Amino acid sequence: MLKNITIGQFFPGNSLIHRLDPRAKLMLTVALIVAVFLSQGFAGFALVLLFVAMAARMSRISLKFLVRGLKPILYIVIITFVLNLFFQSEGRVIFRWNFIAVTDGGLRRAAYMAVRLVLLVTSSQLLTLTTSAISLTDGLEALMRPLKKIKFPAHEIAMMMSIALRFIPTLMEEADKIMKAQMARGADFESGSLFKRAKAMVPLLVPLFVSAFRRADELAMAMEARCYHGGEGRTRMKQLRYGRRDLAAALAVALLIAAIATLNALGVF
Amino acid sequence: MPIAIKHLTHTYMPGTPFETRALFDVSLSIRDGEFVGVIGHTGSGKSTLIAHLNALIRPEPGRVIVSGVDVGQKGQSLIEIRREVGLVFQYPEYQLFEETVEKDVGYGPRNLGLPDAEVKVRVAEALSQVGIPEELSGKSPFELSGGQKRRVAIAGVLAMRPSTLVLDEPVAGLDPAGREELLKLIQDIHKGGVTVIMVTHSMDDAARLCGRLIVLNRGEVAFDAPPAEVFRHGDELVEMGLDVPECVKLVKRLNECGFHLPDNLFRMEDVERAILKEVRGC
Repeated sequence: MLKNITIGQFFPGNSLIHRLDPRAKLMLTVALIVAVFLSQGFAGFALVLLFVAMAARMSRISLKFLVRGLKPILYIVIITFVLNLFFQSEGRVIFRWNFIAVTDGGLRRAAYMAVRLVLLVTSSQLLTLTTSAISLTDGLEALMRPLKKIKFPAHEIAMMMSIALRFIPTLMEEADKIMKAQMARGADFESGSLFKRAKAMVPLLVPLFVSAFRRADELAMAMEARCYHGGEGRTRMKQLRYGRRDLAAALAVALLIAAIATLNALGVF
Repeated sequence: MPIAIKHLTHTYMPGTPFETRALFDVSLSIRDGEFVGVIGHTGSGKSTLIAHLNALIRPEPGRVIVSGVDVGQKGQSLIEIRREVGLVFQYPEYQLFEETVEKDVGYGPRNLGLPDAEVKVRVAEALSQVGIPEELSGKSPFELSGGQKRRVAIAGVLAMRPSTLVLDEPVAGLDPAGREELLKLIQDIHKGGVTVIMVTHSMDDAARLCGRLIVLNRGEVAFDAPPAEVFRHGDELVEMGLDVPECVKLVKRLNECGFHLPDNLFRMEDVERAILKEVRGC
C-alpha cells in the first residue's frame, strides 16, 4: 500500500544521458531551470519542452514514468492555475459570473504558470530518473567541494543525502510490515475522524522511529568497522571525469538558452 | 476454529514489470487443535499464505473460510477474523510501541472494544502465559531483553484470545535457551486448546513439534502430510532448497553403512531407540 512513490526514483539504463558526468548533469539541470524561468512566453516553453522530450527519448525513459512523476504536483498545478485565472484582471473579459471575471490576460497568465511548473518538475525529473543516487551525491559532493574552504561540510552533507536516499525503500518496507502487524492486533488505519486516524498512527510511528534509530546505530558501527572516518583523504574507485559528451550536452543547453534569449529579444512570446 | 483455503492464488503488483506470483492454486484445510508446520524456501509464499489467514490480504482469486466466515466477502468485519486468528509476525518485538508492557499487551483487546476491567484481566493472563513476571508489567517494553520483548509481543496477540495462533518463525534470532523456552511455550499454548500454525526454517523443530507439515514450493503446496511422510522425500526437499532433520540424515548414513533402520523415523528419541534395538538385537 505504500509502494507507489516515484519521487527520486532511478530508471536504470545505459544511454548517453545516463552516462553524462553527474556534475555536468546537475549543473545543466540548473541551467535548464534557468531556461524555463527565462522564457517569457509559450514559444520559449515549446523549445524547452522539445529539448526535454528529446533528452527523454535519448535516455529511453518511458513517457509514462515522466507523467507519473507529475502526479504529486497535480494539485499544486491546479491551484496555481485557478488562482491566477481569477486574480489576474488585465485584458479583455471573456467570462463573467457574479463577481468572478475571467480575462484573456488571466487565462494566459494561468496557463503560463501551470506550464512553467510542469516544465520545472519534468526537467528536474530527467536528472533523478537518469542518475543513480550514488552518482548524484558524488556529483553534489564534487560540486560543493570548493565550499569546504569556508568550512562547509560538503562531504557530510553528501553522505547524509546518500544514506537518506538509500533508506527510503527500506523504511517504506518496514512501515508496511509494522502496519500489518498492528492491523493483526486489530488496528484500524483507514476509518474514523482525522484526529482518530492521526492517533492510530502512533503504533506505527513509534516502532518505525525506534527501528530507524537502531538501523542508524548499526550502520554507524558497520561504517566504522570499515574504517570510515569522514571524507578526509578518501579516494574513489570511480573518478569523475568530464568527457566530450558533457561538452556536447553543455553546448546543447547553451544553445537552448541562447535561442530563448533571442526569442525574448525579438519579442516573440 | 477450522480454516479452509480453496484455490487461493496471489500475485503481487499485477500488471507491472515487478509482477510476481506468490501463491498458485493453494487448497488446504486446518482442523481445530492441530499443530501445523509450514516450511518452504525463502520466497515460497509462506508469509503471503499466513497473511491471508488473518485477512491482511484479501483472497483474490480464491477463498479463505475461517470458522464458516468467508474472509473475502465484502462488508465482512475483519476485526472479527483477526480476533479469531492471532498472527505473530517475524521479529514481533519490533512492533512494540507503548510506554509500558501492560499497555502494549492491552492494545489488541482495546482495539476489540473490550471494557478496561476485561482488558486488565486478559493482559495479566497473557503475561503469565508467556512467563513474564508481574513486576515487569509497569516497565517500558524497550527496557526488556530481546527474549522478553518477543514474549511480550506474543502476549499482545494472545491477549486477544485467538482460537488459532499463527507464528512466522517465532524463534528466529534467539539463543538456544531462548529458543527452547519459546518452543515450550508454544507447545503449552497448543495444549491449552489453541490451533497452532507455525512457519519455520528448522526441520528439526518442524519434526519435533508439528503433527502435520505443509511444504510450499514456488507458491504451490508440494507436500501436506505428517512429518514422517514428508521427510521420506528427502531428495525432493533438498531440491526445493530445504533439508531434512539431522536424525533423518543419520538414519540414512547408518543404513548406507549396513544398518537396517526404518525410514520413517524423524525424532531423535525414536532413532536412538531403533539404533539400540538393532545393536542389541545383533
